[in-house]
Amino acid sequence: MEITIVQAVLIGLWTAFCFSGMLLGIYTNRCIILSFGVGLILNDMPTALAMGALAELAYMGFGVGAGGTVPPNPIGPGIFGTLMAITSKGNITPEAALALSTPIAVAIQFAQTFAYTACAGTPESAKKAILAGNFKKFKVSANTTIVLFAVIGFALGFGGAISMDTIIKLVDYIPPLLLNGLTVAGKMLPAIGFAMILSVMGKKELVPFVLLGYVCASYLKLPVIGIAIVGTIFALIDYYREPKVVEVVAEGGKQDDWI
Amino acid sequence: MTGSNRLTKKDYIITSLRAFFLQNGFNYSNYQGTGYANIIYPAIKKIYADNPEKLKQTMVDSCDFYNTNPHFLPFITSLHLVMLDSGLSEEESRGIKMALMGPLAGIGDSLSQFCLAPLFSTIAASLAAEGLIAGPILFIVAMNFILTTIKLTTGLYGYKLGVSVVDKLSKQMSTISKIANTIGVTVIAGLAATFVKINVPISFAAGELNADVNQSIVTIQGMLDKIAPSLLPMLYTLIVYYLIKKKGWTTYKLVILTVIIGIAGYGLGILS
Repeated sequence: MEITIVQAVLIGLWTAFCFSGMLLGIYTNRCIILSFGVGLILNDMPTALAMGALAELAYMGFGVGAGGTVPPNPIGPGIFGTLMAITSKGNITPEAALALSTPIAVAIQFAQTFAYTACAGTPESAKKAILAGNFKKFKVSANTTIVLFAVIGFALGFGGAISMDTIIKLVDYIPPLLLNGLTVAGKMLPAIGFAMILSVMGKKELVPFVLLGYVCASYLKLPVIGIAIVGTIFALIDYYREPKVVEVVAEGGKQDDWI
Repeated sequence: MTGSNRLTKKDYIITSLRAFFLQNGFNYSNYQGTGYANIIYPAIKKIYADNPEKLKQTMVDSCDFYNTNPHFLPFITSLHLVMLDSGLSEEESRGIKMALMGPLAGIGDSLSQFCLAPLFSTIAASLAAEGLIAGPILFIVAMNFILTTIKLTTGLYGYKLGVSVVDKLSKQMSTISKIANTIGVTVIAGLAATFVKINVPISFAAGELNADVNQSIVTIQGMLDKIAPSLLPMLYTLIVYYLIKKKGWTTYKLVILTVIIGIAGYGLGILS
């Protein structure tokens, strides 16, 4: 499938918006959102949704940076992976695209670190601008990083979209053993995301809930929302059993003020 | 109260919403410092309308290193502004501002990053996996609705109440995040069982080889499923968990390990 220049520009703008949205804290720089936009622009929603769902789960834990590790950026699978899956017309499965785009995700992470470092001088110029009474210039300093992010995002999205033909051709040279192996690996990759997030949240007293979730999913075949409700039931039972916490909630007369 | 008392409720709401701009100038020297100054700028411009030197000094002081959770920031900015507006100096209010940075970052991160995001992320992904557009839309709408509500609520809370409430707030928040943690862990364990897929394609004939009668074929996968469904995905997730928690493996190492297992497993015909 050919990507037109207009589509490439739109993908660039979408990437720019999502990547800058990370700084705004509006949760746009997530695989599922990034791939949704690509699917919309290239008019292939089923592939985009499949890719987004798979990558979102695999990358879910990467956002939490356990122990100061630098996480791979979701633009890798969200934009590049989705482009691969859509333009190859099924030759590259979402699982393989996830594995193939992960090195790109790592490279983008370095671009992000570079942007933060490049902006390290802005506080100085911001202070100078304030002391000179030039608050317009201060605003420029205070928004440098987000502008830089938008530029990097556009370059990545646009560049990825127009060079996708070449990338797909290169993928053709990958032997089938490697490509099928990558698909197998792609199906296993979400384990890293889940384990990552469990390692941050997990405490010993939560082990029963790990088993609960497993039983609900594997034996009872409950859908996710069902599992979430079962989890809520147990959390609430636990909550009402703890007398101390109830006291704290009950004692403050002013509590209603903020809810 | 002494001081200028120039700020109205509206100023606090605007400042709370400006919390979205916290990281617009994020950098490796003062982190969110410039962003913090930018957020409170309109409000302190009002406070020091007739004292440009004081405005400049307060702005420069506000550019100090800062790093906290954007969604709980309005609580800090509101308290900070209440203090400045009632005549306290930047020096005096700085202590509170700096003291709140750490605890609120902890509460905010555990709620937004470890509970809300994983919860909606998994729900959205499972909807999307079924081909529903509602998945990504639900994710972005739900996350932003909740986080904006938190911004406004904490912002108004900081404005209404004094400094003494921080302890109470963190107790309540830890209860909320404990509940959210429990739900999150349950959901994530369930998803690990459904979304991590490891299949063993090996099969062999049971009993003697017999060409004519219906030979029963035994697959290893079928046997594993009888012992416990999704046994291998759960075990692999546990192994990865162990490597992260006990061995301190980074994501890169884990990705490389997984890719090697995938290729080797497929090459040897053990995995498909």
